[in-house]
Amino acid sequence: MKNFKRFIIPLLVVAVILGVAGVFIYKYQKNSGSPEQFTQDKAALLRLIQNSSEIHRIWNEGEESREWSLMKSDCLKYLGTSQKFDESLLRCNSILLQCHARFTKKLNYKLMNYEEFDNAPYRYMTKSNSSYGGQHDSGIAITLEDNVTKKHLDVFLADQCQEVYLEQRAYAYGEHSAVKDAEDYRFDNFNRHIYLDTHLVTNGEVNDWIKFGNPDFTRGLTEKKGDDLFLPAVELTYSQIENYCSFKGKQVMLAHFFDAATFLPVDLKDLVPKKNLRSPYYWTKKASEYKSDCSLIYSKDCINKKAYTLNSTDPTWAGIHDSMGGVFEVFRNPIDPESNLKASSFYFDSKSSWHKLGFRAGWDGEGFDLRNFDFRGLNPFVSIEKFEVGFRCMREVLQ
Amino acid sequence: MKFILLAFIFIFSSCKGLNENKYAIAEMDLKISEEWIYAEKLLKLKSNDVELTRPPGFEQLVMELVIPQKGGLTYKTHCVYYLVPYKEKVSNFKIQELKDVDSCPDNSDKGITFFTLNGMSNLKVTFTDFKLTMNFQYNKIKQKIEIPMPNIEAGVAHEKYHALKEKRLMSGLKFLRLDDESFDNSTNRYLGKLSDRFSKGSAIRCHQVDKDCNTVGENRCVECRYGWYEVVDFQCAQGGSKFCGQNHCGEKNEPACPRGMKVVQLEETGICQSDLSPVVNGDKILVCQ
Repeated sequence: MKNFKRFIIPLLVVAVILGVAGVFIYKYQKNSGSPEQFTQDKAALLRLIQNSSEIHRIWNEGEESREWSLMKSDCLKYLGTSQKFDESLLRCNSILLQCHARFTKKLNYKLMNYEEFDNAPYRYMTKSNSSYGGQHDSGIAITLEDNVTKKHLDVFLADQCQEVYLEQRAYAYGEHSAVKDAEDYRFDNFNRHIYLDTHLVTNGEVNDWIKFGNPDFTRGLTEKKGDDLFLPAVELTYSQIENYCSFKGKQVMLAHFFDAATFLPVDLKDLVPKKNLRSPYYWTKKASEYKSDCSLIYSKDCINKKAYTLNSTDPTWAGIHDSMGGVFEVFRNPIDPESNLKASSFYFDSKSSWHKLGFRAGWDGEGFDLRNFDFRGLNPFVSIEKFEVGFRCMREVLQ
Repeated sequence: MKFILLAFIFIFSSCKGLNENKYAIAEMDLKISEEWIYAEKLLKLKSNDVELTRPPGFEQLVMELVIPQKGGLTYKTHCVYYLVPYKEKVSNFKIQELKDVDSCPDNSDKGITFFTLNGMSNLKVTFTDFKLTMNFQYNKIKQKIEIPMPNIEAGVAHEKYHALKEKRLMSGLKFLRLDDESFDNSTNRYLGKLSDRFSKGSAIRCHQVDKDCNTVGENRCVECRYGWYEVVDFQCAQGGSKFCGQNHCGEKNEPACPRGMKVVQLEETGICQSDLSPVVNGDKILVCQ
């Protein structure tokens, strides 16, 4: 009996203590979460941050990312693209992320789909369609879900890698006049931060406007697929073009800034030369050095040599593509509003006098028939049912 | 027997203490990380990378953070306070939440308490490479909390031949706190309508410059819904006043486009359509007529 008391009482006491401790720990964990739970959640948050930085890398690297090389064939098949295109267009492009979400294997996260937008794994976000504060640029919003914890993180990726900064210097508008002592129309952009689109707006980009923009402004437009995704958008009226650029917080490319980015400065070091001498060709300072070369001007002669693609020609000194040849390009011209069209295009052969920088035709912005254009008597020698008019945007950024 | 019992109680209470330690720090780490990764501004950081040892026994403001509210429509402020331990005064770490963007007072009597922890000492806050690190001791154990802050921006870098670069952890990347309200058109506070025109008097002036080239009020052009454009008014080197909306400069009754002052050193210089002339209006803005 004595031995019984000696062992059973302490055992009972221990049992009671363990019971109380068990209840305490159970309640502690159930009501307030355990340290392990907090640690796991923090680890998940860090994982999501790490994964968002990986996506950011893919977004910026585009065609140079290893992910693209691994999924390229699957992605092109999925998109229905069979023709070659300039793959640098995949930088800052939602198409690449769509394919990444679909085809990259062994990810420890997934991109959530937006049901209301045909299950797209992103939504295009601008100040015009989102009230989220503090936005500087337009871009895409994506939602990452951690595979382990199902925690979410919303991420914004700015659409800013297809623009180029225009150097602050003195420029001139229009063709160089051969008349002695003729006054040039000069201007400068000192103390202004101007960014120009490096390429013409693509159908894929217009798709985002149709999907995520105000439907009142996109009525009548349909989304393009397949090979058209990487070709320039050429069916918008001028008013739609203005609204597209506004949707992105930008404006239609101004004619004199296009001239600034295309006329090759004679001396790159001299920011304010006494005169802005300029050649009609963006690759040379000499007017005599004209070359019929499809990588410089994609003219009518090139159609049988290689298929037209966006960015088919070399960039200008400032970094913008397709400054000559290809499709028409419309500008807003605040000096000579009737001269708003880059007519240098694949509608004219390489000998055409339209292939000169600063020499522009006119477009009424409403239709695409011959009657909607003013070619100053230098009409194309072809019967075209519908001319193709591309465009690009530009913007000014605060300090 | 008594010895066994005492040892058991000692071990149990030690485990509980350790568990509570771990619990408090893990909770703190998660709770503030989940908020502060969205912080867009870090202000008034006191003694970056220096252990706070003074003044003993007094509460001090360590830093303030501006963080978007859920949905991103408005902002709130986190005011972080720390009381250095002194004699019987227990050290304290406290985060007060202000419902708006407001300057934090010197002591923590404003706002609601978001988080508080007694017994934290030897606090050192470091902000470097867009990462906030807090080193401290809690119940005599060294602790470290690290929080990446990719939304903190230190301006932009403009470089010829390059795209825009934001000076932040990852240029162009930002964490958002989206909800349905973020995309509700009725709550959009950005400035201007697509139909606004300078010529109709409906364009919103987002930045005003006076005749002495000083900025009057705040520059709100970053809040323009459809972009902004500059006008020519007082020929100031840093530019003129600005308006929100679609740019129609150069057109009839619209402002002249800026032409710059380095190559055309004339007064009242702006770009207008060739059949129009720039005329100064009542606000000293050059308008094409």
